[in-house]
Amino acid sequence: MNITLTLNGKRRTADIHPNAKLSDVLRQLGCASVKMGCNEGACGSCAVSVNGRVINSCLAYAAQADGGTVETVESIGSLDHPHPIQAALVEEGAVQCGFCMPGMIMAAKALFDKNPSPTDAELAIHLDGQLCRCTGYEKIQSALRRVAAHGAPVPSPGSSTKGGRS
Amino acid sequence: MKITAYHRPETLDKARSLLRDLGPAGIPLAGATSHAFMKGDDEKTAVDLAALGIDTITATPQGFAIGAMARIADLQAFAAPGWVLDRVALRFVSQPMRNMTTLGGNLARVFPWNDFPVALLALDATLDIAGDTVTTHPAATFFKGQPARLFKPGDLLTAIHVPAVGPGCGFGYHKETVVNMDFSLFTAAAWVRRDKRSLAEVRIAVGAGVPLPQRLIALEDALTGKAFSRDTVRAAVIAHAEAVSWKGGDGFSADYIRQLALTHLEDALHAAWNDAAGGAV
Repeated sequence: MNITLTLNGKRRTADIHPNAKLSDVLRQLGCASVKMGCNEGACGSCAVSVNGRVINSCLAYAAQADGGTVETVESIGSLDHPHPIQAALVEEGAVQCGFCMPGMIMAAKALFDKNPSPTDAELAIHLDGQLCRCTGYEKIQSALRRVAAHGAPVPSPGSSTKGGRS
Repeated sequence: MKITAYHRPETLDKARSLLRDLGPAGIPLAGATSHAFMKGDDEKTAVDLAALGIDTITATPQGFAIGAMARIADLQAFAAPGWVLDRVALRFVSQPMRNMTTLGGNLARVFPWNDFPVALLALDATLDIAGDTVTTHPAATFFKGQPARLFKPGDLLTAIHVPAVGPGCGFGYHKETVVNMDFSLFTAAAWVRRDKRSLAEVRIAVGAGVPLPQRLIALEDALTGKAFSRDTVRAAVIAHAEAVSWKGGDGFSADYIRQLALTHLEDALHAAWNDAAGGAV
């Protein structure tokens, strides 16, 4: 079956099997940031935004996203102009192997888009689906607290929807 | 299970017609989060219910009407006097899973550890099944066995009606997991109506640790009309929870689950009592 979706701001079509998972299709469409971890909705490394909600794309069928809007971390910031969330994570030394970071950033951005100054408790609730096996979370929390303290994390001037890498 | 065809009808009639025609080859698609656990090679045609417009939460004179396709995250975010399902939602797996999972999906196929059946039993909710006509089922009936027994081909769960927790009433919910996102080892929910220092009405439900979520009617009866005290609650819980046949599993013995039950039943009742007084939950 053919599906059409708006992926990171661009209209894309794909010929998929109805059983295909969204994570697989997004990777086939070039979004290498979508990591394949547990494949059962437990680790969050495949988290992407679909119609404004961050979901585990390993559990969703690609067909469910037909006609929808999908955002991956490729749409957020760039190497030269990182999103404030990305900048804070780097400045705090919160990124080690980096495998969890695309999902972590998507989950954090979804929260900050709705609530620019979340409390620690709100951060904990909205990031409870993102596992990190390296950092122990403390530096991730510190980075996101820093973003929260500055209020709305508007993208840096000149940030691009191209060229992001994670 | 393998999905070999996909439909996303825009009306309830079309969805029902498709599922009726497909028979066992069709499967309603709600949040899809449980599909990862459906092993085997049987081929199914998915009928996605996402476009039916049954995903809103509405305040009604009696409480709240929740569309079966409302996401758990919607329950988490909703706020109104007498609304308590946000407390249940917050203990549900993780934010991405709350964003995907639908209330209807959590109810239509019941695993022992499912969260919302326990809460809906304690809250005395009712559930609408759309067939040729809409039939309304009390939670106590709906969850008496696998809900599938109530559905004819093409029938769909469309709405859940939850009474508001009114003045003088309270709700307590306790869920035990090994780690935060895990399936429940034991879940208890309690609803009480206070009359000064007494428990005028009590409903208590448990899930996980039992084959299917259920009310503990004997415990409810033992507490109804009694003056509330720590000793009264503890004695009743010990006397009646001992009579339940608790189920172990996943490395936990039935006796361990029984001990969890004793603690969490007391805690849920205290939480409901305090809630009824406008105190801490």
